[in-house]
Amino acid sequence: MPERRACPTSTSASFSELSYSYPLKLLSPPSHADAPGPVRIVYVLSYGGGLVGGDKIELDVEVQEGARLVLLTQGSTKVFRARDPSNRTQQHLHANVHAHSLLLLLPDPITPYAESYYSQVQTFTLHPSASAIILDWFTSGRAARGEVWALGKYRSANEVFVQGKRVVRDVLLLEQGELGRRMQPYACYANVFLFGPLVQGVLRALKERYEKIEQMQRSKPDEFVWSLSILGKAEKGRNGEGGDGAVVRCTGRETEMVRLWLKDALSGASEVVGRDVYDKAFV
Amino acid sequence: MDREVRIVSYILILLADSNLPTGSFVASSGLESYFKHGFGSPSSGIEATLEFVQNSLESYARSASGFVRDAHEVVVRFVDGERAVRLEDTLAKLGELDSLYEAMTLNHVARRASTAQGIALLTLYTKGFTNPYGLANDANSNSVVNMDNFVVEMKLRIRHGKLNGHLPICWAVLTATLGLPAERSIWLHLFLHARALLSASVRLNAIGPYASQQLLLHSVRPLVDEQVKRCAHLHTGLGEEMKDTADDGDALPASTWPLGEILAARHDLQHSRIFNS
Repeated sequence: MPERRACPTSTSASFSELSYSYPLKLLSPPSHADAPGPVRIVYVLSYGGGLVGGDKIELDVEVQEGARLVLLTQGSTKVFRARDPSNRTQQHLHANVHAHSLLLLLPDPITPYAESYYSQVQTFTLHPSASAIILDWFTSGRAARGEVWALGKYRSANEVFVQGKRVVRDVLLLEQGELGRRMQPYACYANVFLFGPLVQGVLRALKERYEKIEQMQRSKPDEFVWSLSILGKAEKGRNGEGGDGAVVRCTGRETEMVRLWLKDALSGASEVVGRDVYDKAFV
Repeated sequence: MDREVRIVSYILILLADSNLPTGSFVASSGLESYFKHGFGSPSSGIEATLEFVQNSLESYARSASGFVRDAHEVVVRFVDGERAVRLEDTLAKLGELDSLYEAMTLNHVARRASTAQGIALLTLYTKGFTNPYGLANDANSNSVVNMDNFVVEMKLRIRHGKLNGHLPICWAVLTATLGLPAERSIWLHLFLHARALLSASVRLNAIGPYASQQLLLHSVRPLVDEQVKRCAHLHTGLGEEMKDTADDGDALPASTWPLGEILAARHDLQHSRIFNS
């Protein structure tokens, strides 16, 4: 069971523990000079860049008080065809985000191959003063092989607790059976959850952008579409300390469109982790 | 027909009345936004409507039927007076289900529509279905407890912000109170969801009223039946951690149509609109 901890001093963060075992690999590059706080990156990697049926990744994350952790991947996580549908590929993440700390989870998308069976559960426990941006996204499959929404089963569940109160349980279930008709014309879907004081700048920018939209009658669907919902009630549990939470959902005809949009829409995060660090995401 | 079957049939007819003031006529559950965003064209009204109904119904059934089932069971225990279940405990349990539904319904437009229709159903009960003559055990009721007070108390808590009063929870309260069995209740709930979409499509001029009836008779029935069957094993998993085994995880509520979520959440961005959702 791999685990990592980032402990803050005033300007730098260190790992009190960083352990992993096959097929998972965690890599932590040295800290960056321009970071505005105790920021560290961890790359979450799988051998060969993919997971097969029966692979089960368990990742426990503790972000200690005041620390800022950025979790990234290097390339999309491929989920290969499963010989036995009952033998799913599973990823479980549990993150505990302590007082005044920050977690940015900005991985590349999951790419479920044809007849792959994938299930992930991500649980985030946030202190009321903690912040997080949680990105969860996936593509239609291996486009180069002409695979479009040919996956067998894909399930993703995200749960967020703030001060012990469940504020999000977002569960998506995709199963084969005319899946393509339901998902097209789009090839990539993303969900972003935002919480806490350090993401309020990003959230303000998103709100401004969203409120400017005036949807007129279209004769055909746009190439890219997104929505923003403010989770105002989450605020009540926080005594106003953390500000609003929010969920952003978006989709596009090509994964690249979604990637570029996300990079731009969340770019305010560079102010809390530094430009150099932020530029490592969405590459 | 024995007495129980007759009562159930009669309640079904009452609740299926399209003139019931449940607020569903101002909800399109994302259909208006779907058309506005260029999905479906005026020439493909029937096809596009049916496509939407299928996807929306499937996702709603997956998300909501476990909540109707679990909330219904909670209320039935109270109605039956089983082991002296207290009103307070029953409302607390409904409150937990209601909070979980809130945490699973992140789209603000859907939240608004769900709570508006939820409270409308409770008002329908207090204003439309209570017995004006104050008879405790009338011909339509098997209840050994006074459900009128229960529903009034629930409404009060919603008004005071202690409950959200989401649609599937309130629907379960209404139907369990009227003596409709859980599976009939879910079946009718899904049918009404589909019918409301067809009515919305008629108002949006995508289909005509006759086509709407044709679809209801020939296309919607198998869709509803299929979803009832698919969702027969679903429950909310309240109080459980999210499990991830092949069997358990899939029995929990989930949405199945991410595009529908996005378009429904964009409802308020429309330059002009006639529905509230």
